[in-house]
Amino acid sequence: MGTRLLEVTVNGRTRCDAVDDATLLVDYLRRSVGLTGTKQGCDGGECGACTVLVDGAPRLACITLAASMAGRSIETIESLAAAGRMSPLQRAFHEHLGAQCGYCTPGMIMSAEALLRRDRAPTEDAIRAALAGNLCRCTGYVKIVESVQAASRALAEGER
Amino acid sequence: MTIDATTPRFEFRRAASVGEAVQWLATPGARVHAGGTDLVPNLRRGLERPSIVVDIGGIAGLAGIAWRDDACAIGATVTLARLAADARVASTYPALAEAAAAVGAPAHRSAGTVGGNLCADTRCVHYNQGAWWRGAVGGCLKRGGDVCHVAPQGRRCHAAFCGDLAPALIALSAELDVASYGGVRRMAAVDLYRDDGAAHLALLPGELVTAVRLPPPDGVSGYRKARVRGSIDFPLAGVAIALRVGQRSIERAIVAVTGVGPRPVVVGTEAIVGRRVDDETAALLATRVEQSVKPMRTTATPAAYRRQVAGVLAARLLRTLAA
Amino acid sequence: MSSSIGAASAEASPPRTVGHPTPLVDGVDKVTGRARYTADLPHADALVGMILRSTVAHGTIVGIDVSAARALPGVRAVVTGDDFAAPYGVIPIAQNEWPLARERVRYRGEPIAAVAADDRASAEAALAAIVADIAPLSPVFTAQDALAEGAPLLHRDKAGNVEREVAQDFGDVDAGFAAADLVRERRFHYAEVAHGQIERNAAVASFDPERGELTSRSTTQVPYYLHLAIARCLGLDRAQIRITKPFVGGGFGHRVEPLNFEIVAAALARAAGATVRVEQSREDSFLTHRGRPETDIRLRLGLRAGGEITAVDCEVIQRGGAYAGYGVVTILYAGALLHALYRVGAVRYRGLRVYTNTPPSGAMRGHGAVDVRHAFEALLDEMGGELGLDPFALRRANLIEPPWRTANDLQVNSCALAACLDRVEEASGWRERRGKLPRGRGLGLACSHYVSGAAKPVQWSGEPHAVVNLKLDFDGSITLLTGAADIGQGSSTLLTQVAAETLCLPIERIRVVAADSALTPKDNGSYSSRVSFMVGNAALRAAEALRDTLVEAAARTLGVAATEVVWQGERCLVRGTDRELDFASVVAAALAGTGTLTVKGVWTTPSEMQGGRFRGAAVGSTAGFSYSAQVVEVAVDEETGAVSVEHVWVAHDCGFAINPLAATGQVQGAVWMGMGQALQEETQYHEGLALRPNFLDYRIPTIAESPPIDVTLVDSLDPLGPFGAKEASEGSLHGFAPALTSAIADATGIRLMALPATPDRVLDAIVRRRREARLESMRANRAAAAAGERTNP
Repeated sequence: MGTRLLEVTVNGRTRCDAVDDATLLVDYLRRSVGLTGTKQGCDGGECGACTVLVDGAPRLACITLAASMAGRSIETIESLAAAGRMSPLQRAFHEHLGAQCGYCTPGMIMSAEALLRRDRAPTEDAIRAALAGNLCRCTGYVKIVESVQAASRALAEGER
Repeated sequence: MTIDATTPRFEFRRAASVGEAVQWLATPGARVHAGGTDLVPNLRRGLERPSIVVDIGGIAGLAGIAWRDDACAIGATVTLARLAADARVASTYPALAEAAAAVGAPAHRSAGTVGGNLCADTRCVHYNQGAWWRGAVGGCLKRGGDVCHVAPQGRRCHAAFCGDLAPALIALSAELDVASYGGVRRMAAVDLYRDDGAAHLALLPGELVTAVRLPPPDGVSGYRKARVRGSIDFPLAGVAIALRVGQRSIERAIVAVTGVGPRPVVVGTEAIVGRRVDDETAALLATRVEQSVKPMRTTATPAAYRRQVAGVLAARLLRTLAA
Repeated sequence: MSSSIGAASAEASPPRTVGHPTPLVDGVDKVTGRARYTADLPHADALVGMILRSTVAHGTIVGIDVSAARALPGVRAVVTGDDFAAPYGVIPIAQNEWPLARERVRYRGEPIAAVAADDRASAEAALAAIVADIAPLSPVFTAQDALAEGAPLLHRDKAGNVEREVAQDFGDVDAGFAAADLVRERRFHYAEVAHGQIERNAAVASFDPERGELTSRSTTQVPYYLHLAIARCLGLDRAQIRITKPFVGGGFGHRVEPLNFEIVAAALARAAGATVRVEQSREDSFLTHRGRPETDIRLRLGLRAGGEITAVDCEVIQRGGAYAGYGVVTILYAGALLHALYRVGAVRYRGLRVYTNTPPSGAMRGHGAVDVRHAFEALLDEMGGELGLDPFALRRANLIEPPWRTANDLQVNSCALAACLDRVEEASGWRERRGKLPRGRGLGLACSHYVSGAAKPVQWSGEPHAVVNLKLDFDGSITLLTGAADIGQGSSTLLTQVAAETLCLPIERIRVVAADSALTPKDNGSYSSRVSFMVGNAALRAAEALRDTLVEAAARTLGVAATEVVWQGERCLVRGTDRELDFASVVAAALAGTGTLTVKGVWTTPSEMQGGRFRGAAVGSTAGFSYSAQVVEVAVDEETGAVSVEHVWVAHDCGFAINPLAATGQVQGAVWMGMGQALQEETQYHEGLALRPNFLDYRIPTIAESPPIDVTLVDSLDPLGPFGAKEASEGSLHGFAPALTSAIADATGIRLMALPATPDRVLDAIVRRRREARLESMRANRAAAAAGERTNP
């Protein structure tokens, strides 16, 4: 058994925390860092609620060992709003009711964020493929697709 | 704040080289870690109790895809997402790209690796459960008990290997580099597996799959996966075919099926080689597949369905590849 | 949200908020990750609470030795069933469940002891040190086994393991069948399903032994029922308890009754004199269960040639699991909502709710009425086919016209099912496309309905059905105080809209404080789609009362009669003049001499809406029924049995959509949840042990296979609903499964009598039909040959 000093970047800030080798990334974020936006809905890797970005790619924080994140850059839902203002995706999920109970929402938005960063105008199929690991029990996904499409439009308008 | 305390804590070691990794892996109870998508869920359920977790994610040289003409070497820590997105892999080895894209969901694929998918643990509804649950049934042959709840009369574990890449790599005649303290040995992908759900990998302690080597493609290939949902699910059955069709008839066919037993099943294709690809040949292949695979009740979905659908997928894929 | 408070006062006309798509008032917190759910609450000093579960399905508790566990370092409290004063159960007449089992265990996974410790490792060590001596009894896992002669009894006072037997007869059933042109009988089977709310269960309870106060925060839909249950089980005075509900990540019925872990958390907090948090796993959710029961249905219908339903004869058996929960209500709902959707001649209903050694079933979205709706619509569909009637024509032949009293004495004041049918017929292109799709493709139709709140709450106290307080203070802000639990459905938003509309104020002026028993008026909770209708009405009345007070204050200041004041919210005018007063001045005038204003609005369901006089008549009664029609298009892969839902068109009569955005989202969610149950979700047990207690094997649909769901909201302006509104979050669930199987029948000719329609079941049915067809043609050939021999000897 071991403990280590973990150096990692969380939402743009470099941190150094003592963590047990067996610590899960989701617990590190929620308890050590205090960012509770990242949720846990299953017992490991089945629902996507804990999705965060690691070096820009979606990862399941609940089946990621924090120790394996040394030197990596982690982004959580809390990183998206700038100066208290919602990001285009957050605004779209709010205005188009992509979130009902809101519990899957952080993971859903982070998966969508990863998609829009590599494809700002995704097809509906691409949206569905990118969010296929994020279970939502409220929306039937219809308004989630619409929310991502709305964010994509907002990004396009922002560019013009 | 750690993984369930029912799991003894372990030491996480980040290997800088293959040499270091295989040295550590020779320690009793050591486990390999790259993306963690297979190991960590098992840690959380107390299915694995490693002394050391050896992370190979930082080893330079394991994360590349190298081409020589149309042959290819893929490092063990290449992620499934990268494999699925690689245009040259998709055009040269469609079965492999399709299999990589069929694994889990995007966040599994951006973490999960080629080596990890090849060496994934076998699965069973009586095994992939929490500690309380397994305690309630007294464990099973694979872990902590002496009865297989799938076939209580028997003395062997039927847990099914459910990796998607393996059948594709077998069909594509891939070989594996297996490193150990003594050096590197080469084995056919199909030889990685044993017909025992409790010990399904033919690796010795201290051995590590470091790369997959693919010969130039000999014809066309594809992979089809049966699952209930459009994502996340492990295969109820997954079929890969590599096929060379001459002017009139099938000259060569390799068919491998995953998710139907402790190891991928290679289906004999003598019956269809030499035949034209038509409905009758497809039906013949379906029958051969159904006769060759013997899924047991390791999933909530009935085993008979997995056998049937494996045949259907094989027949369909054959027709598609020949079209 | 565009209008700010300052801008609104300059507008010529007051803002209208109801009827406009309105993002959730707490939506920003959800999309930014700021929303705190129970497990997110700060916890620095909390002990870790954990629960030990029985591995035995049925047994007598000989003893539970916790002495070793208590002696372990870091262990602060250990409790067992003996630490509770009384059993609980959401229905007062059926309280037979202990938070931790006493004397007997009745299902694998039943909680038997709990610990609170400094950390998780200590808690787990303590659980491991508890020695439970349980002498096994023989278990019964299916309703059939439980009902068998000589079956072991789960509860001494329930002979034959029958929790409730229902017998209801309306009209002359035999005459009804005699008058029918076609009579058919079928048997149906439905798997047990679970809610699958994504948030895992959690509770944080604190006890202050100096003051004797207990505070609990947990993942509940019914904070006030939890309040009652904790008081009862812990033997505390109700005044010592405070329950607050943080953000809740969905419920769907899992959390509409107090659950063991919440009561146990409270008991641990009291025993330890500390704060205890219990965070449960996904597996725990499945073991706690309370989902829709496994159900067997025998249904016989009589139809005239024109499709009119002359008689209904139905028998329903529900496997209820180990304890009562909502069971009595569930079996009554199945009968009440079996036939009340249509004009029917006569009805015979027999229902059996059975105890088994499986986790307790409970209320799940569409409570009690989902499986019977499938059976009814599916048999209608089949018989319509035999009679050569189009599915739409068949429904239209049986429509009710409000005001209407159903066969089982339920009052219907509004119904726009006819319009719903028209909308989906057109939207789906039914007339042009039905019967003309390629092989393997099909269209199916079904109708459904649901209550807008149970007319009689399960905890009957004589209080009104809903109470809302509005507080207006010196700053001109209005606080809406409600006990209603927003669990994601958007109730806080809807109540804000209702108050804002009534007061002609922008919604930004109104702040909601919800579900804190120390602050908010009691509410029965978020179940049976009651909140929009009942609490909405209370909010409407509270806002009217506040408006009246403000108008009077304005009139005093302006020196005119109240009837001369034109109320526009941010300002008011003296009629016919340009004299006006801004809102701040009105508030100042209203508070002068009295200070902070608090007004109240209440709603009580009128007695004529509370059902008939027979036993069980209250269940099914409501102040307003929603109606829904939907068309499902499927593609069936006849080689693999895979069914893919290509499109759904649904029209839902919600009376009036106060928030069309949320109502549309609720209808989509309901249809989709119906899809999950119909296609692929099911629990399963291995000798009473949940075999799929995770999100890999319990297959909630992913976005990849989820269809477009086109929603039309249809107005019917219910005379009792707030602004005419009725429910929108459950009634469209019931119709999905029968529309699906009707579409599968259209695509393949196969009528599925057992759900879910997983690929293996569908393929089995296809293979069986092929075999039967082969046999039939062999028989026909043989008969032809025989006939040939006779004619040519």
